[in-house]
Amino acid sequence: MFHISSQKKYWTFDNEESLEQLRCEANQKYRNKMLASGKPGVSDAVFLEAHEEIVLFRHYEKRLLDFCNAFKPVMPKSVVGTAIMYFRRFYLNNSLMEYHPRTIMLICAYLSCKVDEFNVSSTQFVGNLVQESAAGQERALEQILEYELLLIQQLNFHLVVHTPYRPMEGLLIDIKTRYPLLENPESLRKSVDDFLTRATLTDSGLLFPPSQIAMTAILNSASRAGLSMESYLTECMGLKEDKETLLKMYDAMRRIKSLMKKYELPKPDEVNAYKVKLERVHADFGTNSNTKRKRGYEDDDHVAKEPRMTEEEWTDEDLDLDDL
Amino acid sequence: MDQYSILGRIGEGAHGIVFKAKHIETGETVALKKVALRRLEDGIPNQALREIKALQEIEDNQYVVKLKDVFPHGTGFVLVFEYMLSDLSEVIRNSQRPLTESHVKGYMMMLLKGVAFCHENSIMHRDLKPANLLISSTGHLKIADFGLARLFNNDGEHLYSHQVATRWYRAPELLYGARKYDEGVDLWAVGCIFGELLNNSPLFPGENDIEQLCCVLRVLGTPNQHIWPEITELPDYNKITFKENPAIPLEEIVPDTSPQAVDLLNKFLVYPSKQRISARQALLHPYLFSEPLPAHHSELPIPQHGGKHSRQRLQPPVEFSVDLPLSESLVDPALVQGHAWCL
Repeated sequence: MFHISSQKKYWTFDNEESLEQLRCEANQKYRNKMLASGKPGVSDAVFLEAHEEIVLFRHYEKRLLDFCNAFKPVMPKSVVGTAIMYFRRFYLNNSLMEYHPRTIMLICAYLSCKVDEFNVSSTQFVGNLVQESAAGQERALEQILEYELLLIQQLNFHLVVHTPYRPMEGLLIDIKTRYPLLENPESLRKSVDDFLTRATLTDSGLLFPPSQIAMTAILNSASRAGLSMESYLTECMGLKEDKETLLKMYDAMRRIKSLMKKYELPKPDEVNAYKVKLERVHADFGTNSNTKRKRGYEDDDHVAKEPRMTEEEWTDEDLDLDDL
Repeated sequence: MDQYSILGRIGEGAHGIVFKAKHIETGETVALKKVALRRLEDGIPNQALREIKALQEIEDNQYVVKLKDVFPHGTGFVLVFEYMLSDLSEVIRNSQRPLTESHVKGYMMMLLKGVAFCHENSIMHRDLKPANLLISSTGHLKIADFGLARLFNNDGEHLYSHQVATRWYRAPELLYGARKYDEGVDLWAVGCIFGELLNNSPLFPGENDIEQLCCVLRVLGTPNQHIWPEITELPDYNKITFKENPAIPLEEIVPDTSPQAVDLLNKFLVYPSKQRISARQALLHPYLFSEPLPAHHSELPIPQHGGKHSRQRLQPPVEFSVDLPLSESLVDPALVQGHAWCL
């Protein structure tokens, strides 16, 4: 029921500019907070710029996707889509400098498993951090449990995510029954799936209803296979007489495709340079997690005095999934 | 939390304590359900997530308890619900004799509207029972406790746990260990609640799971492939066999009840889940349109929470009748004046 969902009400935005603005504000909010804290070493130069955060965001988002895809038992696509959507929603209002994406991405995946009723135990979940020692997995689990509440709070307790996978199945069924012009709709599935996976890595889910993304995926895959499905929109969807809706649909499809065209994986050297900055910020001004836990999360402005114990943390490299 | 002043403790749920509190700004009385996160192995419990999930995604409905707010508190979080005076189990417990037919119909109407709303929003409650049907100070019945609720898909692929629903209200397919089931489990529970309202005592009060099945089989008769084709696919079907016995007519189970009530009850209490009458259809059953008509919520008894005595409610001067001229069954407006706010 997308039309009465919290997704439509609270998490669907008008345009890309409003998303960009939210991200800039999150970056600025963190800077202001740090500058006001009077901590030694705080200066504008140490912080990541908003556009640098976006590069790192993409990097970690891709890692989240890889982690989910390598997950055992196989994670259903809707769970993966939900996890990534959580990740995107979280960093719409938060800076990567405040909450480390390496932790948040795992919590997103963990929460999405629970919410989507893909039941894995917590031990089973961290067991998927295959590069980790038992102790490392234990530490990861601790962090997940510690920040889980923070995540659902930042998601405004809106836990249900509508991904395009269900509307896609629905459309395929509809095409099979009502659109005999397309001979073998199943042959499109592979490329539709690919399209939807790539779409998850863009802002499309924050801008468009899942059904439009699904429709775009199908029409796009068809046209790449040399099949025109325009009459499906005009005839089967009854948009022939409703030019306004039809034009809106075309516009949405065009925008979704352009979002995807613009997407590129961040360059490794950029990622590495910004990572250095990110780690520095977290090491110097990071919140001590234990204090945070005891205090709960009601106090958003709370910043602990002690720097966090970097050697205690599991590092980025521990999480390397490239070998999977 | 500063926005509320605690007025007292209402009870203890599966995942924390429920308080009665006052929202300072508006003066509104609410129920706060605290979900504490002790060192739980798997983090935030699924039950709490499900409850939030189900209630955040549905629009307001008069017959579903409203989740007004969620906020973090300490190491856990707090769910804010509208405050409800009592629940249906108390109503049943506190009434000296069976509820009048018109009262039963009034409760059934509200229950069915709430269930229809949930099902139309793809939510199966999975734990309907009198204690989860709260009664407001205006006599409204609202479905609560969505801790076991699931958003369902009709693709028939999902496996669910069969360890849901309080035993007495658990559908036969669950008792046979089904992992694939549907909103029919709620409709079975509605039937059990209906019977309980009619009899003033539970219909199938099994003391354990096996006995529960016996209770059901004793009344509905031993199921077989003929009347319940899916039964052979149920996990526990072969694990237990019962002596062949015929069904007992429901008239004998709920004596002194109108034939229409028995007919409706019969439509809920059938073995194949798909054959149970839907909540929406049940709302059109002649039972609800025949005399005595369903009581208006303002006529229903409201027990005080934990109290023994029902508050005497305003009684209409005459019984409403479908055959009488309208003017004769009108209530004197002066009588309802003080209650106009609850209409």
